[in-house]
Formats: sequence, C-alpha cells, structure tokens
Amino acid sequence: MKLFNLKTLGASLVLSIGMAGSSFAAECIAPANPGGGWDFTCRTIGKIMYDIGAVDAPIQVTNMAGGGGGLAYGLVVNERNEDEELIVAASSATATRLAQNAYAGMTYDQVRFLGAIGIDAGIIAVAADSPYQTLNDLLDAVVADPGSVTFAGGSAPGGFDHLKVLMALKRVGFDDIRAVKYIGVDGGGDAVTQTIGGFTQAITGDISEVVGFIRSGDVRVLAVLTQDRLTGEFADIPTAVEQGIDVVAGNWRGLYVPKGISEEAYQGWSAALQAVADSPEWAEAMEANGLTEFNFVGDDFQNYVAGLMGEIADLSREIGVIQ
Amino acid sequence: MSDRLFGFITIGVALAYVASATQIPIGLFPDPVGPRWFPYIIGGVATLAGLVVVLRPDPEPDWPDAIAFVKIGLACVVLVAYALSLRPLGFLIPTALAAGVLSYQIEPRKLPALLTGIGLSVGLFLIFKYALGLGLVPVPKGWIG
Amino acid sequence: MDTMTLLGQGFAVALTPENLMLAVAGCILGTIIGALPGLGPSNGVAILIPLAFSLGLDATAALVLMTSVYYGAMYGGRISSIMLNIPGDEPALMTTLDGYPMAKQGRAADALVLSGVASFVGALLATLGFILMAPILAQIAYSFGPAEYFALYLLAFATLGGLAGNNQAKAIIAACIGLGISMIGLNSSGMARLTFNSLYLYDGVDFLVAIVGLFAVTEVFVFIESGGKHSAIGVKIDRITLPIRDIIGTFWTMMRSTVIGFIAGILPGAGASLGSFMAYSAEKAIAKDKSRFGKGDPRGVAAPEAGNNAAAGGALVPMLTLGVPGSGTTAVLLALLMTLNITPGPTLFTDRPDVVWGLIAALLISNFVLLVLNVPMVKLFVKILSVPAWVLLPGVTMISFVGIYSISGSWFDLLLMIGFGALGYFLRKLDVPTVPIILGILLGGHMEDRLRQAMTISGGDWTYLFSSPIAIGLWIAAVLGFVAPIFLRRYIKKPQAVPD
Repeated sequence: MKLFNLKTLGASLVLSIGMAGSSFAAECIAPANPGGGWDFTCRTIGKIMYDIGAVDAPIQVTNMAGGGGGLAYGLVVNERNEDEELIVAASSATATRLAQNAYAGMTYDQVRFLGAIGIDAGIIAVAADSPYQTLNDLLDAVVADPGSVTFAGGSAPGGFDHLKVLMALKRVGFDDIRAVKYIGVDGGGDAVTQTIGGFTQAITGDISEVVGFIRSGDVRVLAVLTQDRLTGEFADIPTAVEQGIDVVAGNWRGLYVPKGISEEAYQGWSAALQAVADSPEWAEAMEANGLTEFNFVGDDFQNYVAGLMGEIADLSREIGVIQ
Repeated sequence: MSDRLFGFITIGVALAYVASATQIPIGLFPDPVGPRWFPYIIGGVATLAGLVVVLRPDPEPDWPDAIAFVKIGLACVVLVAYALSLRPLGFLIPTALAAGVLSYQIEPRKLPALLTGIGLSVGLFLIFKYALGLGLVPVPKGWIG
Repeated sequence: MDTMTLLGQGFAVALTPENLMLAVAGCILGTIIGALPGLGPSNGVAILIPLAFSLGLDATAALVLMTSVYYGAMYGGRISSIMLNIPGDEPALMTTLDGYPMAKQGRAADALVLSGVASFVGALLATLGFILMAPILAQIAYSFGPAEYFALYLLAFATLGGLAGNNQAKAIIAACIGLGISMIGLNSSGMARLTFNSLYLYDGVDFLVAIVGLFAVTEVFVFIESGGKHSAIGVKIDRITLPIRDIIGTFWTMMRSTVIGFIAGILPGAGASLGSFMAYSAEKAIAKDKSRFGKGDPRGVAAPEAGNNAAAGGALVPMLTLGVPGSGTTAVLLALLMTLNITPGPTLFTDRPDVVWGLIAALLISNFVLLVLNVPMVKLFVKILSVPAWVLLPGVTMISFVGIYSISGSWFDLLLMIGFGALGYFLRKLDVPTVPIILGILLGGHMEDRLRQAMTISGGDWTYLFSSPIAIGLWIAAVLGFVAPIFLRRYIKKPQAVPD
C-alpha cells in the first residue's frame, strides 16, 4: 500500500501549506488553454482580488478550452446559470465571436457582462531592420504589390488581428481582401519571432505581445490603434489615426457572470472587480504588460458590449468576413 | 483473418474520411493548400497501408474467449455509466461504485472490492478537492441544501 | 566571470531556507503530479499556481516553487510509464517502449534508477547549456520559419518507420489514425472541420485524453482479459542495486540524446515530446544491434528520458528570452511570470537579473534535489507493483478519470477516453503500435499549419520549402531516415517476432 502512503505524504504536504483559510473558493473560467489573454485575466484579476481581500479564498482558475470560448459560454448558459461563485474571462474576442454568431446561436444577453478594467491596444509592427518606417509605407507596399507583404498574427483568418489589417487597408482604399497575405500563427510571440526572422514582414496584434521586444529594440511599432497616444513608456509611438488611417481597435480585458445570479451576488462581484481596478497592484500589472486604463464596470457595460458587437458585425459584413 | 478484417475496416474508414473531407468548408480566405489536402493525403496513405495489411496479414492473434469479451464489455459499460453520472450524482457515489465493480472484475471477492471502492472514492475526493483544490461536487446538489 | 557572479547572486537568492524548502516541496509535488496519469505537467503547474498565490510568495519564491514542480513532473512522468505502461504525461510516452518491458522482467528498479540518472544528466546539461549560451541560442528560433518547421515534423514522421515493431504498414496506419484525429477542429483557415457540428470537438481532441485512453484504460481491459498474465504488476522484483553497467553503457546515449532534446526544446514549435521521440529513434537508428529495442533495452530508457528533460531545460530558452512558450507547460509558466509582472523577452536578462539567475539557480538545485529524492525513492516506487491489482488498477483508472474530468469538466472527454481505451485494446491485440497515434495527434495540426503558412508566404510556390540550408538539411535527413531502413532491412536479419 505504499502508493497510498506516497500520496498521503504529498497530500498532507499540500494540505499543511495550502489550507490556510481555504473555504469553498470561487472559480474563474478561462475559456482557453493556459498562457493566453483570458488565462491572464483570470489569474491576474483573481490573484489581486485575493491579495486585496476582495474575496476570502484564492480564486481557482479552470481552463476550459473549446469553441473559441463557446464551450464555456454554453456551460454557463445551460448548466451553471445560477452559480454565484463563478466568473468568466471575456475580451473583445468574446464580443467578436458573438457578433459573428460563432457561439452556436447563443447571444450576448444570456450572460451578464460584469465590466472591463483595462485595454490591450492593437498594434501593427515590423522588425527593427524593416524598410517600412510608417504605417503608410507598409500599406502603400501592400497596395502596390499585395504579394510582397505577409502579416502574422495570433488569431485565425477572419479573427480580430486579421480584421485590424483589413480595416487599415480599407481606409486607404484597398478592397481586394483575399489578396492580402495573412498567416494565423501560434500566438503573438510566434508572430514576433517569425517577423524578426524575416519569414513574415509585419505583425498585427496587441501591444502586450510585443512589450519586451519594443524595449529591446527588436521590433518597431508603426502604429498603435488607439484614439489618443498611450501615456508613459510608449508615448512616442504614433497612432494610426494621426497618420490618417482611422482605425481604433483594442482588446479589453474583463469578466462576465451567469445571468441567473442574485442582484446581491452581481453587485458583490462588481464591487470586487472595481476594487481591483482601483488597486495599485492592478496599475502595476497594467504597466508591466502594456495595458491601457479602461475602467468600465457596472450595468452599463452590458450595453457597451451590445454596441461594440453591432460595430463589429457591421464591419465584418462590410469587409466580407461574414455574409 | 483478423488482419484482413482490420485492413478492410481501415480502408473503409479512410475512404469515408476522404469523402467527408470533400465537404470541408474552404472559408473566406483560401490559401494555396486549403483545409482539404491534408485529410486527403492522410486518407490516401491509410488506404494504401490498409491494402498492404489485407494482402500481407500477420499471423492470427490469440483472441480471448467470449467470456473475456463480455467482461471487457461490462467494464466498458461501467465506465460509460460512470462518466455520465459524475455530473448529476456528484463524485463520491459513482466513483465508489465504478471502482468497486472494476476491482471485483479483477479479483472476484466482495469485501475487498467494496473496501477498494469506498477507499478510492473518499481518498481521491480528499486529494483532488482539498490538496489540489479542484472543483469537485461530492454529492448531488439537492443533498446539501 | 560575469556569468559566474550573476549565478552566485542567483544562488544567494535561491539558497535561503525558505526557498530550499519550496524547492523540495515542489519537486515532491511535481513528481507525484507527473506520475499521475491524466494530470500532465502543464495542468499540474496550472493547478498549483493558486497555491503559490495563497502562500503569499514573492516573485522569486513563486518561480522556485513552480519550476521545481515543472522539473519534478518531467521526472515523475516516467514512473508510471515504466511500471504500469501508462505514461504519466506526454513526454514520458517513449519511455514505455523499453521501460515497461524492463519492469516485466523484474528490472523495474534498474529502469527507474537508470531513467532517473538519465533525466538528471539531460536536465543538468541543458541547464548548463542555458546558462552559457541562452542569448545566442535564442537566435536559433529566428532561423526556423514555416518551411523549416514543416521539414522538422516531416523528419519526425519519416523516422517513425524505424521505430515501429514488425509491421511497417500497421505503424503507418497508426500514424494516420493520429493525424486524422489531429485534423478535427478549428483549422488554420479559421473554420471548424470534421467536428460533426459538435462544440466539444471544435478545438480538436486533447492528446491527454488520447494518451490516458490508449494506455490507462486499455491496460485495464488487457488485464481483465488475461487475468494479469502479461502485466508487470506482481512481478517479483530483483534485488535493488545500482545498475552501474547500464549507466556506464548508456553514457554516450545520454550525451547524444541530451543534445537532440536540447535543440528540440529550444525550437518553440518542437518541444519535449518531439525531443524524446527524436532521441529515441536516433539512438535506435545508429545502434548496431537493434534487436533488443522495444524489449527492454537500457538505451531505450536512457535516450527518451535524457531527451525529454534536456528539452524541458531547452524550452526555457525561448520562454525567457523571447516570451514564446515552446510547450504547454512553459505557456503556463509564462502566464505565471506575467501575473507576477515580469515581462519575458529579450530584455528580461538585463531588466530582472535577480529573477533570471535566481530561477537558474533554482533549476540547478531542484535537479540535485530530484536526483537525491529519486534514486533512494526507487525502493518506494517499486512497491507500487506489489499493491494488489484489484486496488491498483481501479485506482489508476479513477485517477485518470478525475484528472481529465476535473480540469475540463467535460463528460464528453471521458467518453472519448473510454472509446480510445476500446480502440487501444483491439489495436494491441492486432499488434498495431499506439505510440504513432499520439505523435500524430500531437504533431499533425502543427505540421499542416506550417505547410499552409509556408505556401501562403510563397504564394503557392513549392520550391519555398527547400529555400534555406536548414530546410534542405532536414529534408535530406528525412529522406535518409525513411529510405535507409527499407534498404538496410534486406541486409540485416529480420528480428523474430517475440510473443509479448
């Protein structure tokens, strides 16, 4: 029976160090595998909620990959609609998929969006040794010869990273979307290595994915896709808007909760999320990961998501990503 | 004979696979290879390999008697029932039953099987729930109000 | 030397009593998690992250704990591979091939000690390689584009033939099963395929489900059928001695496998599984006497273990210097770093030398801790085989189920796992190897993605696949690896099929 002795050993080891104040912990579902943006949301927000005392026990993160978030969405809607100890990571990608009707007919009003507390600014970047100095240089090169530039991004074709490029090209009057070369690689880091390696010519993604490479000087960001310039470290990066390309795209980081929970529970989570947003810990996390402030917690956020979805649906239709 | 049958099944499945691959949507952004070619190649290679197995089969494996198949079938059924009952019935009872039955199948003695079932169910629950902090539900929701 | 000073400072950080305790705890926990089927290292590390937070650890301490869990899991995976023929995690897959036959011959302890030493050698040399060359090595990742990766995967599949048992056609069918399954789900055109409109299949089939099904569940079925005649459970274990002859005899095997594994680890698209696989098949390819491979050859135990642990160390290179995860586990570690507000990337070494060197020191320490823990603990491990089968097998099955279920919460995965178990039973009766299925599932999607990316970049020009020296070299190796065994087999006496 030594196997069980061994296990007991391990178990008691963790028990003894891990049980400090553990009651029934709340759960945060990251609807993707560990390591991505949703995972970051659950882990960072969950950690800060515990650190600042907004919740009693550390929040348990479950990674439920499937259907680009659709599996977790379906689970919340169909099976855990009244679970008050559950939060789920959401982002612009959630809104994009809902807008493109990619969640098997489920709609945004089947859950309650809690809020967003930071935004990851979209960027278009090139390697440091690239001949393209401005966003217009790059777009002109695509217009002149679409075959000469391959974009690399972390999302699949038709996804958010691809849309950013197509939107920018549309602004300079280029409509032949199928001629644009785009490869969806394995996350933002892969897009960066492929571009620095010279296999692809440009990166489309979020600023958090390239922060380390901006600091090291390996990557040059041609444009950040925000209305105004970022503040602080990245203030000298021009926006697309000021270069005459009217494209604004950011990936907010937020949460949703099941629709059937009590108003009291909803307000509790709302307060906890707001407390995270106001904490110095979150400010530090945003700084380190290149996120920009975007504080939108509460009942109106549901309407914001609805509005955003409308825009994305229009855009997708306009570009031709959905019929 | 078994190998021949296996070869034919492989060919059948591979051809069905290729057939369903012809229905794969290309998407709005076609690339030079597209989503169908890899499945075609896989199905094609599997068909060829299946043919080789049909033409040059290995010696017959020694299949167990019918009773062994019934036992394995039973184990399968128990596991499927276990998988389906985990959510509605919680962790403890299905685990005790499934572990107990499997144990009895391996060594047909009632008391040890019973103890194994109960011991594993409670022990694993404690380990996974409290040591690793995973969200397991012990008993059906209605039982604990 | 500068590196030495920095490393010294790293040790000063890592060697506090608190951090040392964390390293030991992490190693033990990691070993257990690695050995439990259904809980791979990536899930294991992910599960334990809240623990690090609830203990209120600072950044370095949290990293010490989690990396020792990571290394521990890489060590631990082999334990169940060797004793139960059930890989605890995917990199330990190859260790079943010769480790389990050794256990059946009563040499479980030898296999465990040997693989422990091989793991230690692989991990230690990889960590040293990392210390000396990390910034240079990071450049290698820049020289692998889609065409090069495609050629690399092709090489992996080309050498599969050399690995297969007696019937090449059956190995090919097995690989096709895996590849066919890997096509299921979202593909790189952004649309789902072959999912039968099920959301459960939308992201494809998780290889962990396949591994647990094909190995753990199948093992139960085989045991029920045979009443345990062909199992290592209950086999009388030889007296436990240090297998000095095996260790010395496999010295060069470990060295070669370490190099192969390390390189595979550095490449973000390859990872530990490919490292252990390539190490094993390379070792078999160059061996003069191949007849013992698959029947308990010590080289077949040493090679994959040195390979996968070296790969685990190598994978830290792209993770820390580029912020690119080379494997599921490093993706989780990366997430942990970001949660701790540490931005991995080219500037990490200059921005946060305390973290980097503390981490490296922690790796070295956990390596020694693991060696010290593992070799004496072999006595404890082999006792597993004297647990009666009627407790052990239901136990392993239930652990597998709970492991899979508690992470994904999906009963669909459990049914799929039982399906894999039944498939595995029939395939095993028919002498069809199951390892190629797992490789197919692991690598198939990546291989196709890279080909399609390459063709998109080149606009459909196939010569692009052969446009760099690295790609050409890999193609030549692939062709040789595939063709050579076919010709060589004519000259080498075909090994007799030994009934299992």
